[in-house]
Amino acid sequence: MTRMSVNIGGIKLKNPVLTSSGTFGFGREYSGFYDLSKLGGIVVKGLTLEPREGNKPPRIAETPAGMLNSVGLQNPGVEYFIEKELPFLRGYDVAVIANIAGNTVEEYCMMARRLGSLVDGIELNISCPNVKEGGAAFGISSESVYNITRRVKEQCKVPLIVKLSPNVTDIKEIAESAKEGGADALSLINTLRGMAIDINSRRPVLANNVGGLSGPAVKPVAVGMVWQAAQAVDIPIIGMGGISCWEDAIEFMLAGADAVSVGTANFINPYAPLEILEGIEKYLIKNQFSNINELKGNLKIYGGDNKCLQKKE
Amino acid sequence: MQCICKIVENRELCKDVFEMKIECPEMVREAQPGQFLHLKVNKSIDPLLRRPISISRIYRDTGVISIVYQCVGKGTKEMTALKKGEYIDVLGPLGSGFTLSDEGKCAVVGGGIGIAPLLELACSLKDCDAYLGFRCNTYKLDEFSSACKELYIATEDGSTGSKGYVTDIIKDITKYNVIYACGPKGMLKRVKELCEDTGVKCFVSVEERMGCGIGACLVCACRIKEGDTWHYKKACTDGPVFAAEEVDFDD
Repeated sequence: MTRMSVNIGGIKLKNPVLTSSGTFGFGREYSGFYDLSKLGGIVVKGLTLEPREGNKPPRIAETPAGMLNSVGLQNPGVEYFIEKELPFLRGYDVAVIANIAGNTVEEYCMMARRLGSLVDGIELNISCPNVKEGGAAFGISSESVYNITRRVKEQCKVPLIVKLSPNVTDIKEIAESAKEGGADALSLINTLRGMAIDINSRRPVLANNVGGLSGPAVKPVAVGMVWQAAQAVDIPIIGMGGISCWEDAIEFMLAGADAVSVGTANFINPYAPLEILEGIEKYLIKNQFSNINELKGNLKIYGGDNKCLQKKE
Repeated sequence: MQCICKIVENRELCKDVFEMKIECPEMVREAQPGQFLHLKVNKSIDPLLRRPISISRIYRDTGVISIVYQCVGKGTKEMTALKKGEYIDVLGPLGSGFTLSDEGKCAVVGGGIGIAPLLELACSLKDCDAYLGFRCNTYKLDEFSSACKELYIATEDGSTGSKGYVTDIIKDITKYNVIYACGPKGMLKRVKELCEDTGVKCFVSVEERMGCGIGACLVCACRIKEGDTWHYKKACTDGPVFAAEEVDFDD
């Protein structure tokens, strides 16, 4: 164990900085900027059983300090990923986590079986707001979260991370259901459903009408939800949502995240994950933490009993 | 590559159209006509995203790239306020540019702000005519005039050249071996039809709303025909230049 290494439900990461699904392709695009081995982990673009073309453009709308997207899970399918993309990623010393999405529970199970132990972990995408079937439909009720987690977990040979949607009434309840269903870890938040309207054409900006909001605009919502989830469950949490600098990452860890994931910031600054990693390490040294895990939930809340969340040994 | 580059010039060419010259010798070495730069217009999180702007000229001797942009929103408005001597965060050169043809006579067909990316191309081609369409105010006519054999101009208000659309002033398209076009979707669609009717090879540079600019975010989808089927390709890395016959403008 080094100062920076973390264990996310059995996935050993040499540092707590990952890149978020849908913002980092299959790594190739960023490999020209830096050595991908410097990252703790890469969560690949959401995969489906069959290739998907995704939604009609326009698929992006810029909003104050944020952006809406409605890509709609465009991807080459799980087989293509295994044959053509995974070998490239395996050339790096970095944890590879496959994000999977399906129309039915059975599709998720088939993908988990097919991926076997070829990847280091599977992230269950039950929170994509941009597809008609499946996607978020599985992620918004406790019962369906429990069911799909349990069914997919039975097929998983590697740790299962359940990615939670913020578009729910009670994130604690959903987090608990995922844990009960057998999730080894949680990641949150996915994008928030939103809309942008062109007042001149009087039409939505996105051809899908609605999309998922990401970027700095969502960060306070994400920090709040990570904090809530961390109090509800004792499994590791990957915090994400608008992280664009190391200070943001520290906030998430203090709220209860064991690791952080960088998403939209990659679009603006390709080096963001590395700069965040460097900043976290400096913060640890400056504040005399000997280990990254000491940060989790190390938060002195107001009006509480000040019992910090501590990682179970 | 990503560089913090010095702005050596930023001036208005005509109403709402600006030219910015950026010192970026490393990018100049790689840059090709038809490629673009992805600019972070300020250090703030609002506007959040970079702005993709096509390369208009590449000055190999001085290591300077010229971009021409239209002030249309928050980001480009910020750009207009940048002064000579200030610095800007640039990612580039990005995208697949124009494939230069040595097959004799060529023409560039441009509309509006889509005219600018054709200038470096026109300078690189040996035998090239230009057909340029503006709404009213014109720009860069001198440079096109010296780069091209013949220059044909159309304006919607008739203030310069012929009154009407640029596609109406192309009299004999068959004298060209290759047409390169950049401009509004409607114009590109018409140029594509003209070329298809006459069997002239045509390349178009498309514009889509972009995110990362490097092929990771998949938002700049462009519908491209492949045989009997089609796929969404990325305007940022697969394009922005595509063979016209591949592009489905009706999507």
